[in-house]
Amino acid sequence: MSGSFLERPRFSCSLGGALAAAGNIQNVAPILHAGPGCAGNFAWSNNGAAALAVTGPCLGLNVPATNIQEKEVVFGGLDRLREEILNAAKIIQSELYFVLTGCLPEVIGDDVESLVAEIAAQGLPLVMASAAGFKGDSFHGYEAVLKTLIAKVIKPARVKDDKLVNVFGVPPSLNPFWRGDLNGFKELLGLLGLSANVFFGPSQSFKGLTQAGKARKNIVVSSLYGLEAAELYQEKFEVDYVLAPYPIGAAAAERFLTVVGRALEIPRRKVKKAIEEAGQRHYDYLEPLVDVYNDMEAQRHVLIVGDVNYALALTDFFSQDLGWIPELTVITNPLSPEEETRVLKNHIDLGGLAPNRLIFESRLSYIAKAAKNVWGGPGLTYWDSKQPVFVAGSSLERALAAELSATHLSLTYPIANRAVLTRGYVGYSGGLRLTEDVVGAFIANR
Amino acid sequence: MSYLEAKVPPIRELRRPETALAHGEFRCGGGPKKAVCAIMAQADRDFTQGSICPLLPALGIMTSLPQTVVLLHGAVGCGSCAVGNNVNVRAGNAARGRADLDALWLSTALNEDNVIFGGGEKLASALIEADAIYQPKVILAVSGCLPGVIGDDIDNVAAETQPKVKAKILPIHCEGFKSRFMATAYDVIYHALGRNLLPLESGPKDKNAINVMNVGSMGLADEKELARLLGELGLKANFFPVFASPDSFALATRARASISVCPTHDDYFLSHLWEKYGVPAIIRHMPIGIKNTSLWLTHLGEELNMAAQAQDLADKEEAKLNAALAPYKEFFAGKTAFVSAGEYRSLATGLLLRELGFKLLGIRSFHFDGFAEVELAKLDQGEEFIFNVANVQPFEEANLLARLRPDIFLGHWHGNSTAARLGIPAQVIYNSGYAYIGYQGAFDLARRLKRRLTNPAFYKRVGRFAKLPYRAEWYAADPFSHIRAQEAESPLTAQTQKANFAEARP
Repeated sequence: MSGSFLERPRFSCSLGGALAAAGNIQNVAPILHAGPGCAGNFAWSNNGAAALAVTGPCLGLNVPATNIQEKEVVFGGLDRLREEILNAAKIIQSELYFVLTGCLPEVIGDDVESLVAEIAAQGLPLVMASAAGFKGDSFHGYEAVLKTLIAKVIKPARVKDDKLVNVFGVPPSLNPFWRGDLNGFKELLGLLGLSANVFFGPSQSFKGLTQAGKARKNIVVSSLYGLEAAELYQEKFEVDYVLAPYPIGAAAAERFLTVVGRALEIPRRKVKKAIEEAGQRHYDYLEPLVDVYNDMEAQRHVLIVGDVNYALALTDFFSQDLGWIPELTVITNPLSPEEETRVLKNHIDLGGLAPNRLIFESRLSYIAKAAKNVWGGPGLTYWDSKQPVFVAGSSLERALAAELSATHLSLTYPIANRAVLTRGYVGYSGGLRLTEDVVGAFIANR
Repeated sequence: MSYLEAKVPPIRELRRPETALAHGEFRCGGGPKKAVCAIMAQADRDFTQGSICPLLPALGIMTSLPQTVVLLHGAVGCGSCAVGNNVNVRAGNAARGRADLDALWLSTALNEDNVIFGGGEKLASALIEADAIYQPKVILAVSGCLPGVIGDDIDNVAAETQPKVKAKILPIHCEGFKSRFMATAYDVIYHALGRNLLPLESGPKDKNAINVMNVGSMGLADEKELARLLGELGLKANFFPVFASPDSFALATRARASISVCPTHDDYFLSHLWEKYGVPAIIRHMPIGIKNTSLWLTHLGEELNMAAQAQDLADKEEAKLNAALAPYKEFFAGKTAFVSAGEYRSLATGLLLRELGFKLLGIRSFHFDGFAEVELAKLDQGEEFIFNVANVQPFEEANLLARLRPDIFLGHWHGNSTAARLGIPAQVIYNSGYAYIGYQGAFDLARRLKRRLTNPAFYKRVGRFAKLPYRAEWYAADPFSHIRAQEAESPLTAQTQKANFAEARP
C-alpha cells in the first residue's frame, strides 16, 4: 500500500472500532473522551457502512462523551472527564463504564489512566482503553478493547472448564455480519461439544464475559485481528491459542473443526464423526437446488473485495463450495509488507487461487484497474471473456460491477444496501445462507 | 467588511454571540417572547452525550458537489461518516439522472509520526496525487481536529501546492473542538466557496433568476416544489450549494436576488453576494408549513416588487391545500406531538403541526440564535409548550418523552431512536429525498403522519422490549438539572408531575 492518502477508507479509526466493540458488550457503557463530533461521526458511518445497524442502547448519540472544546485543549480535559464520569454513573445504568480516549486528549497529554484508576479505586466499575485515531484503524480499536477486558475485567480462574473456549477476531460492525457470525462460531464449536465466549453481542452475557478466564483454549479466527489479545491472554492466564482461519461454507468448516479438534486434543474419531454428520445435514438442505443450479449454469467468475477475514474466506467458499473461478481477490486492509506475508502464511489454503490473483489494495480506482487487466480483453470473436462475473465486495464496488456487467452482492464493509440482523455466513449453515443470497442476487429478475 | 477577506471564517460563537446551546424551559408560548428572553448563550451541561461537530453537516454539502474530491486531513476516522453521506449523494445523483455515482472522499489518515513531525507534507503530496488520479475541478482540503492541535497550516499548504495542481484547492476549516455550534459548518463552506468559486465581476444580471439556497436535507422533491412556486411567478430557481457544480457558482452573482430556505444557514454567503455583486438577499422565513410557505413567497414578492402576484399565488395555493387537508386535520385533531431537529426546522415544523391540528407539547432545537427569534415569536401565539435547546442530548429527551408520551415524535435524521425505544411512533423530518417543503411538502408530511398514526404497531412492539441506557432515577429527575446556569424553575404542577411520573417508563 503506497500513497499519501486512503481512498474511501473501508474502516474508521481506532476510536470507532473501540466504540463498536465496547458499546456492543451487554450492560457496558462506553464514555468517550474525545472531540465533539466523534460519536455522531461513528453513528453516521454505521448508517452507510454497517448494514443498517446504527445504534444500540448506549451507542450512537446516546453514548456519554466529553465533547472536548478549545478550553480543554488549552487547559487539559481531566476535570471535564471526571465530571462526565461521575454524572454518567448517576444517569446511565451499567455494570461497567468503559472510557475510550480519542485523538485530542492523547495529543494534549491528559493522564486518563491515573484518573480512571483513582475513580475505580473509589468503587466505580471503570476501565479505559486508549484509542486515538492517529494510532490506528478500527481493527486496532477492537484489539485495544479486548486487551483491556483481558487486563482488567476477565477474572483469573484456578479451575478451567474443559469444554469452554474463547473466540477472538470478529470485530463488531467492521464485519457487518458479526452477530450472526458469532452465533455461527458457537454453533460450529458446538458440533465438537464445546461452548464459546464471544464477548460481543446479545448472545454473550456480561457475567459470562467476566468468567472467560475459565476457558481452556483461545481460538483466533483471523490472521490479523485478535492475535495481540490472544498473546496477552496467554501471558496473563497461561492459556494458549490456536489460529483457525475464518470458515465460511462447508469445506472451510471441515478444516476449522479439524484444526480446533487437533488443538484441543479431541479424539480424531469424534471430530470425524461430527464432520460427517454436519456435512450430510448440509447437503440434505443443499440438494434440492442442484437441478436448477446446474441448468442455469450458475458457475461464475468472481471478483472478491474485502478485509483479511472475509476476502480469504469468501475466496475459499466460492472456490471450494460453489466451484466458481476466483479471478481476482483483493484484500483491502492497508498492511505493511511483513503483515502481508504473515496473512498469507497464516492462511492454510487459498482455495487453489493463483498467487497473482491476490492483491493487497484498498483504493477502488486501483482495484478497477486490476479488474480491467483481468476482464478487459481484445474483444475478438473468440476469446475468453471470463463472463459471467460475480462481484462479492462492499457497496463501493457497485459501479465497477456495472462496468463489468456483473451481479453484485454486498458482503464486506461498507455495506449500505443490505439490512443485516441475525444473518451470518460462518460455518455450514452460514454457507447455506450465503448460497441463498448469492443465487438470489443473480436470479432477482427470473 | 466581508468576512471572506479573512483566511479563516469566524466561528458562530464570535460571529453570533447570542447563540445558545443549552436551555430548558417548561413553559414557552402563551405570551410574547417569554422564552426568547430566558435563553442564555453561555449555558452549558455538566453531563453530555455524543454530539456532532461542524465537520458532519459540512460533509453533507461537500460530498454532494460534482467533480469534487473531498480530501479529509486528519486521523482516518475523522469524517469516516462520508460513507453515510454517500447514501444521500447516491440518491441525489440518481434523482438527477446520474445512476450509481458515489461521492469521492479521501483521508490523509494521519499517524503517530505525522502528529509528531507535522502532516503538512503528507497533505501536499495527497493534493498532487489526488489531482493526477481523479482530475477533479475542485479539491476540498478539509482540516479535522488533529491538524488544528498539531499546528498544520492547511491554508499555507494549499497556497503553496496550488501551482502544482490543476484543480482548485479550497481549504476548509472543520476543527471540531473550535466551535460548539454545527451551524459554523455552513459559514465554513460558504467561506471557501465564496473565496474561490465566484468570479471577480458578476457579468450581466439575469432578471428572472433567483438563487435559492438549499440545505443538505433537501432532496429533489423539495427543490421541485420551490421551482414550481417560483415558476408560477415567472422566475427561475437556481439552487446552491448542495449538488451545484463548481462552475455553476458564477451564476449566483448574476441573479436578481437570493432567497434562503433556512435563515440560520445562509447569511454569511448571501451578505457577500449582496456586498460584492449587488444581489439582494432575502432571509426571513423557512418555507415549511402552510403559513410559513406563504410568508416566504410573499416576502420574496415584496422584495421583487411583485407583492400582489405573490399574495395571489399564496392565497390560491392555501385554498387548494386546506381543502385537501380537511380530512387529515380531522384525523389529527387533539393528537399530541413533539419535535426535535435543527433550530429553524424544529420551530417551523412546530407551527405546521399546529396548522394540521396537533397539540404541540414540546420542541427541542439543536441550537438557538437571533435568526430564529421571529420563528419562536410565531409559536408564542398558541398554547404553552416545552422548549429545550440541546445539541441532541437524548437523555433530556428521554426524560421529557417519558413524562409527556406524545402521540407522535418528529425528529432529525438519527434523532428518532429514543422516541422509538420508548414506543412512541416517530416521523423523520430531515432526510433528503422526502418532501417537507412548500405546500406540497406540508401535504405530503400530513399524508405520511396519518400513515404512521394509522398503524403504530412497530413502535409499540419495539417500545415494549427495546432498551435505553438510563437509570430509573433519571426519569424522576428534573430533565434540565444538568444544564448549568439554568435558573428557570419547573412550573409543572405537583399533580401533573405525579401523573407523568406514573407513566414514566424506567
